[in-house]
Amino acid sequence: MIKLALYGKGGIGKSTCTANLAAAFASLGKRVIQIGCDPKADSTMNLLGGTPVMPVMDYMREHDDEPTSVDEISKTGFGGVLCIETGGPTPGLGCAGRGIITTFSLLEELELFERFKPDVVLYDVLGDVVCGGFAAPIREGYASQVLIVTSGEKMALYAANNINSAVKNFEDRSYAKVRGIIMNRRSVENEEEKVRAFAEKAGLEIAADIPRSDDIIRCEDMGKTVIEGDPRCEAAQRFLALAKKLIEEDNDNE
Amino acid sequence: MKNTSKIIPCYAADTSGVCSALYELGGMTVVHDASGCNSTYSTHDEPRWYDKKSRIFISALTEMDAIMGDDEKLIRDTVSAAKDLAPNFIALCGSPMPMMTGVDFEAIAEEVQRRSGVRTFGLRTNGTHSYLKGASQAFLEIVKEFVKEPTERTKMGVNILGAMPLDFSAEGTINSIKEWLAEYGFELVSCLAMGSELSDISKAAAARVNLVISYSGLAAAQYMNRKFGIPYVCGVPVGRRFSKKLAENLWLAVQEQQSLYTCADRRTDEEGVQVIGESIFAGSLAAAFTMDMGRYARVICPLDTDISLLAKGDLDISAEEDIEKALNGGGTDGVAADPMYRYISPENAEFFETPHFAFSGRCYQKKALDLINKPIGEIFE
Repeated sequence: MIKLALYGKGGIGKSTCTANLAAAFASLGKRVIQIGCDPKADSTMNLLGGTPVMPVMDYMREHDDEPTSVDEISKTGFGGVLCIETGGPTPGLGCAGRGIITTFSLLEELELFERFKPDVVLYDVLGDVVCGGFAAPIREGYASQVLIVTSGEKMALYAANNINSAVKNFEDRSYAKVRGIIMNRRSVENEEEKVRAFAEKAGLEIAADIPRSDDIIRCEDMGKTVIEGDPRCEAAQRFLALAKKLIEEDNDNE
Repeated sequence: MKNTSKIIPCYAADTSGVCSALYELGGMTVVHDASGCNSTYSTHDEPRWYDKKSRIFISALTEMDAIMGDDEKLIRDTVSAAKDLAPNFIALCGSPMPMMTGVDFEAIAEEVQRRSGVRTFGLRTNGTHSYLKGASQAFLEIVKEFVKEPTERTKMGVNILGAMPLDFSAEGTINSIKEWLAEYGFELVSCLAMGSELSDISKAAAARVNLVISYSGLAAAQYMNRKFGIPYVCGVPVGRRFSKKLAENLWLAVQEQQSLYTCADRRTDEEGVQVIGESIFAGSLAAAFTMDMGRYARVICPLDTDISLLAKGDLDISAEEDIEKALNGGGTDGVAADPMYRYISPENAEFFETPHFAFSGRCYQKKALDLINKPIGEIFE
């Protein structure tokens, strides 16, 4: 099973990359689950035609009880991707990190993986590894590989470096390892050189190079990924290539 | 205000369940919690504390440790204590504070094991679940880690699974169960976990059948069923006639190689005696009411349980207001429960006191009854 967590600076395009990657895996015939781990709960929106799924935390707030089945907190999106959002507490209150852990425990109790039997699980994680809750997706049993999404912008690279160091801190534990970088271009001057310099210094591979693309924006306006909305465009082809590469690696490991 | 108890207390928490389950097995139990909390887990919830030694530690977690996520201190202190004490195993478990900061006990356990060389496991407790959930995890880990493939099977060996004073605090109760087993021709292999050493438990797979006397022992029984093919029977031998039926079911389970939920094999009546408590004990007592006293009964289970342990018509409810409503529905002619439930029971209902240590602690300890293989009609009269 391919189990990936995508991290990166806020607003860098993690949800875009995750949803496109999920759609790419699905279009290659894989059974995919995408779990958005962000209180904004907008990770899976473009797999669902712009209609969001009820986040787990919202369900609990509304019912004052835990859901009894995965159906109550999931929706099936493009290509059969099972979409789940952790959601979070009321902004400014509570503990969002704790919400992620609670959601994961709940999904385990509901035997999500045993019942759905996915080939691929993708975790789209809010911003940085700021506390225990945001490290939950890389714990043993969840993601086994991390993809860091970054552009050539200084602050995005700074966050990418922090994420890489945070994951390295857990080297003694059976946590996920950083698989590489998704370079999500933002038309920054000398962008490729900057990202390559960081990757080289950190000893990381640039696993995918996603061009700055109006196709992505156009498809997102329709509530779609480029894989669904314009599968022939350059950006879609790059996501498909990344998905194929990860599938091949997984096959080799098995 | 649902789930808020205004009158009755709450049950002992999962952390207490872990401490109680592992108390006699020669391990080290470390609770990641603030200093002072050991008195809750190990004295208030533990009647053995004054006469029997155990190694239960509190990490003395501080506010700054929690904010900084300083796992290293817990790891270092645990490894250091383990080097001094050479325990059989180390169990790490949490409380509300580490729950909020998301401490990964399984990962920490791996590190402690690597550094100390002592088998270590992390348990998912957080102080908000019932003692049964904690004890269930602890018993399961012990069985997974220490029960070995048998070299030979005993002729009619049996393990008792789920024994803790939190459920069986009346003096002599567990011994009475052992005597009852002997009376029906069974040979005790081990008792998880009162009166048995870890070395006895490691031989548990030599048994032909497991007797599960509390929900806390069910997960371990199911594991042993999958791993070693040992069937299990759920029930507590209370009363004369139900005890006989339970013994017969133990034999049947061995012969047919089939697990039996004897505590749930009964007719219920919502207008009869309302038996409140842990599902296996309460179901067994409800059956005994019918078989010994000719009174129909229904179980109200406010604790973690499995649907198979309840009979059709039993109630799996935990909120005080729901229990109160069920008790005062009109037909109740008796209540068998911890005395604390008297305060939400109908005044005119006959009350059969069955003190439950996990619920009322030492308050009614002197009134705790050993009902094993005894005519309950005479006892309650």
